[in-house]
Amino acid sequence: MAQPLVKKDDDRDDEAEYSPFLGIEKGAVLQEARVFNDPQLDARRCSQVITKLLYLLNQGDTFTKIEATEVFFAVTKLFQSRDLGLRRMVYLIIKELSPSSDEVIIVTSSLMKDMNSKTDMYRANAIRVLCRITDGTLLTQIERYLKQAIVDKNPVVASAALVSGIHLLQTNPEIVKRWSNEVQEAVQSRAPLVQFHALALLHQIRQNDRLAVSKLVTSLTRGTVRSPLAQCLLIRYTSQVIRESGNNTQPGDRPFYDYLESCLRHKSEMVIFEAARAITELNGVTSRELTPAITVLQLFLSSSKPVLRFAAVRTLNKVAMTHPMAVTNCNIDMESLISDQNRSIATLAITTLLKTGNESSVDRLMKQITNFMSDIADEFKIVVVEAIRSLCLKFPLKYRSLMNFLSNILREEGGFDYKKAIVDSIVILIRDIPDAKESGLLHLCEFIEDCEFTYLSTQILHFLGVEGPKTSDPSKYIRYIYNRVHLENATVRASAVSTLAKFGAAVDELKPRIFVLLRRCVFDSDDEVRDRATLYLNTLGGDGSVVETDKDVKDFLFGSFDIPLVNFETSLKNYEPSEEPFDINSVPKEVKSAPLAEKKAAGKKPTGLGAPPSGPPSTADAYERMLLSIPEFANFGKLFKSSAPVELTEAETEYAVNVVKHIFDRHIVFQYNCTNTIPEQLLEDVIVIVDASEAEEFSEVFSKPLRSLPYDSPGQTFVAFEKPEGLPTVGKFSNILKFFVKEVDPSTGEAEEDGVEDEYQLEELDVVAADYILKVGVSNFRNAWESMGADCERVDEYGLGPRESLAEAVNTVINLLGMQPCEGTEVVPPNSRSHTCLLSGVYIGNIKVLVRLSFGLDGPKDVAMKLAVRSEDEAVSDAIHEIVASG
Amino acid sequence: MILAVLFANVEGNILIERFHGVPAEERLHWRSFLVKLGADNLKGAKNEELLVACHKSVYIVYTVLGDVSIYVVGKDEYDELALSEVIFVITSAVKDVCGKPPTERLFLDKYGRICLCLDEIVWKGYLENTEKDRIKRLIRLKPPTEF
Repeated sequence: MAQPLVKKDDDRDDEAEYSPFLGIEKGAVLQEARVFNDPQLDARRCSQVITKLLYLLNQGDTFTKIEATEVFFAVTKLFQSRDLGLRRMVYLIIKELSPSSDEVIIVTSSLMKDMNSKTDMYRANAIRVLCRITDGTLLTQIERYLKQAIVDKNPVVASAALVSGIHLLQTNPEIVKRWSNEVQEAVQSRAPLVQFHALALLHQIRQNDRLAVSKLVTSLTRGTVRSPLAQCLLIRYTSQVIRESGNNTQPGDRPFYDYLESCLRHKSEMVIFEAARAITELNGVTSRELTPAITVLQLFLSSSKPVLRFAAVRTLNKVAMTHPMAVTNCNIDMESLISDQNRSIATLAITTLLKTGNESSVDRLMKQITNFMSDIADEFKIVVVEAIRSLCLKFPLKYRSLMNFLSNILREEGGFDYKKAIVDSIVILIRDIPDAKESGLLHLCEFIEDCEFTYLSTQILHFLGVEGPKTSDPSKYIRYIYNRVHLENATVRASAVSTLAKFGAAVDELKPRIFVLLRRCVFDSDDEVRDRATLYLNTLGGDGSVVETDKDVKDFLFGSFDIPLVNFETSLKNYEPSEEPFDINSVPKEVKSAPLAEKKAAGKKPTGLGAPPSGPPSTADAYERMLLSIPEFANFGKLFKSSAPVELTEAETEYAVNVVKHIFDRHIVFQYNCTNTIPEQLLEDVIVIVDASEAEEFSEVFSKPLRSLPYDSPGQTFVAFEKPEGLPTVGKFSNILKFFVKEVDPSTGEAEEDGVEDEYQLEELDVVAADYILKVGVSNFRNAWESMGADCERVDEYGLGPRESLAEAVNTVINLLGMQPCEGTEVVPPNSRSHTCLLSGVYIGNIKVLVRLSFGLDGPKDVAMKLAVRSEDEAVSDAIHEIVASG
Repeated sequence: MILAVLFANVEGNILIERFHGVPAEERLHWRSFLVKLGADNLKGAKNEELLVACHKSVYIVYTVLGDVSIYVVGKDEYDELALSEVIFVITSAVKDVCGKPPTERLFLDKYGRICLCLDEIVWKGYLENTEKDRIKRLIRLKPPTEF
C-alpha cells in the first residue's frame, strides 16, 4: 500500500521532475517571510513565500504561537501593496493562519476598509476573511455592511455574504436572523449561485418554524428556480414539509407530489435523481407513486456515469427493503451491474438482487455471484455473505445451493472477519434449518482440516461437540476431530480433546473407541491437553471418585459454567498455594450490577458462534439451583420463569441495586442484587423492606437478609410472596433498602465496631402479565398454528389510539405480552400502513400460546389491531385478551 | 457539508488537504482510508473518470487527473451527485490553471494558484463557485464577466 503520511520531499534523480518544494524547511521559510517587512515590497517574491507557507501548513506542519504571531503580523504589512495577485494570497493565508482573538484587531481595520472598497472583489474577500476570524462584538459593527452585501449587484459579493451568514448562524443566530428580508430578496436573484446560497440560508433561519418553511416551499415550487443545486435543496425541503404534514391525506392527492413528479423531467440529472429519491422515501408511498421514480432510476442504472449508477442502485437497494416487488422490473439491469468495474456498485447490485429475487432465480444468481466473489475485497464479501444468509432463511428450501456456495467460498483465501462471517452464517443455517444440519457440520469439519485461525477452530470444535452427537451417524466426525490432536497447536488440541469427550459421553457405542483416543492424548506435549485427557478419562469411565452418575457426567460436560468468569478469575488470583486445594464452591456466584452501557451491548441479538446458544438457559438453570439451595424456597416447586434484572437505582449511585423476579406457581421471589460502591463503608444486615399495599393479592411470606455487604463485592437479599395459584397476578411494590453502615479505614481495610442504621429509597417495581409468559419460539409458526387448531381460538379487535408509528405500537404490544416474536415479524418496514406480527410463548402452567397480531393504520396515526390467540386452553386464550384489554 | 477535499500524488503522499468539521483525531483515519481506497481502485482509471463509494453515512467521490488523485468527501446534502459536481469544478479549475492534466511537478509549480482556486470553490464545507472561468477571474481578484 502507498504510504500516505510521508512528507513529500523524497529525492528524485530526474531534474525536471523534482519538486519545487524539495528540501523545504519551516525555519528557512520563516526567515524568508521577513521580506514581508521590506519597505519596497516585491509582490512576486512575497507570493512565493506565502505559497511555501501554505504548502507547509498543508503538509501538517504546525507553527508555534510565537511563530504564527510573527508571520501574521508580517502578513498584515502586505495590505500596503496594490498588487491584486498578492492581495488575493494575503486573504487566503490570513484564513489559514486563523489568528487568535487578541491578534485579530491588527487586521480588522484593513479588512473593514476593503469591505467598503469600490473594488467588488476586495469586498467579497474581505467579508469572507472577516467572517472567518470575527467574534460577536465585531459582528454587530459590520452587520450593516453585510446586509448591504447580501443584496449587492455583484453575485460574488452576495454569495460571499450569504455563505458567511450560513456559518455565522451557528455562532450568532440572533444577529443572522435579522437579515431575513435581505436574504428573502436574494432568493429571487437572477444569479443561480446566489439563489442557491440564499435558499440554504433562508431555510436554516426558518427551520424551526414549520409554517414559514411550508410557505417558502409553496411559493418557490410555483416560481422558477434557476440553479439545479437550489432545485435540489427545494426538493429536500419539500419532502420535509410532506413528512411533517402527516398522513392525513388520501393517497393520490398528496400535496406537492405533482411538483416532485415534474422534477423527474428536469434537464439536470442531479434534480431528477433528487426527486426520484424523495418520492421513494415518502411515508407510505404507493406503488402508483413509486412507478415514475423507479423508471428514471432504472434508466440511471445503465448510465455511462458511475456516480449515477451508484446513486440509482443505492436508492433501489433501499426501496427493495420495503417494496421488493416495485424493484423487480430493474433486475435485468442490475444483473448487468454485477460485472461493473466499480465494486461498490457491483456489491449494491448483488445485495439488491438478493432482496428482490424469488425462489426460482436463486440458482442463477448464485452462479453469477460465484464469479464476482473472486475479485472483490473482503469487506464487500462480508456484505454479500450476510445477504445470502438472510436469503437462505427466507427460502429454506434453497439451503442446498446456498450452503454449497458458503462452503465453496469458505475454502478460498480470505481474512479472519470474512471467514468468521461465513462460519457464523453456516452455524445459523444449521440451527434454523434442521435439514441443513448434517451437510453444514461436514462443511465445518472440512474447514477445520485446513484452518489457520485458532479462534474459529476452537469455536467450531465446541459447536461440533454440542451438535455432532445428535446426528444420525456421529462417528463420521471423529476422524476430523482427532486429526486436530495430531496436527494443531495446543489450544486447538485441548478443544479437540473436550469435543471427543462430549461424543464419548453422549453416544454410548462410541465410548470405548473414544477411550482409546483419549488415552493417546495423555502423552501430549502440552500440559493442558494432558490434564483435560486425564480428567475426561476419569469422568467418563472413572470409579466414581470424580463424578458419580451418568447424568453428572453429562452435566459436567454439557452443562454451562455457572460461575461468572470475573469472579472466578478474582478468586483464582487471590488463592495462595497451600495444602488446601482450591475450592470452586467458594467462588461467589453473584453478578455485579453492570453499568447500563454494558447491558445494552449484552442485549444484542446473539449471532453465530460469538454467542453460544447456551446463554439464556444457563442463567435459568443457575437461578434454579441457587434458589433450591435456600431451604425456605425448596418447597416452592419448579421455577417457571426468571425475569431479566430490573434496575432499581440510577447509574453511579452509592448503592447499586437491581432485582430479578422469580415466578413459581404459587409464589414469587424477588432477588435483590446489591453492590456497595463506597470503599469507606461496610454494610451489614442488608434487607429490602417491601410495601405491597398496591399489590393486594400478594402476601409476604419470607425475607432473607444479607449479613454483610463489603465494598465492590455484590451480594443478594431475597423477599418471597405468596400469590393465587396459577394466576397472572399483577401489582406494584415500593422498596426501601435498610442496613447498618460501618465506617472502614481504607488503609487497613478494618471496619469500626459500631454501626449506624440507615435506609435508602429504591425505585418501585411492577409485576406485570408478561412476567407469567415464557419467551419460547417455534421454528415454523404456520405449522404450529395449524396443528394447534381453532378449538381454543379467541379473536377480537382493539383500537390502540393515536401512536407515534406502527413500529412503536407493535413493540408496545410485544413488550406487554412478553412473548417471543417469530420469523422476524417484530420488524416493521418503514412506511408500511399494515403489519402482521407472530408471537409464541408458554403461559404459566406450561400451556403453549400462539398469537397472531394484525396491525393497521386507521386515519393519520390511529392504530387498530386484530388479535387472534390460539392455545391449548381456552382460559389462557381469554387471559391473553384480558392482558391486552387492560394494558 | 463537504467534509474533506484531498489531493495526493501517485505514491499516496498528500499534496493538499482541506478538512471541514472533521475532528483532528479522525483526520489520520480519513487520510489513510482515502489513500488506500485510491490505491485499490484508481489503478488503470482514466483521467477524470469518477469513482464513488460510501463509508458509514458519508459519501466519497474520487478521480485521477494526470499524476494527481483527488478525493472529495461529503455528507447530508453533499451526496454522491453533489460531490460529483464539486469534483468536476475542482478538476476543471486544476486543468485550467495547469493547462493540462498535471504531472506532479506541474501541480506543485502551480501550488499557490490551486490553493486559491480551492478557496473559491469550497468555503468551510460549502460549495461556493462552480464555473471555472469565473474562478479563474476571482483568483486574480477580477469581477465575474457576466457582471
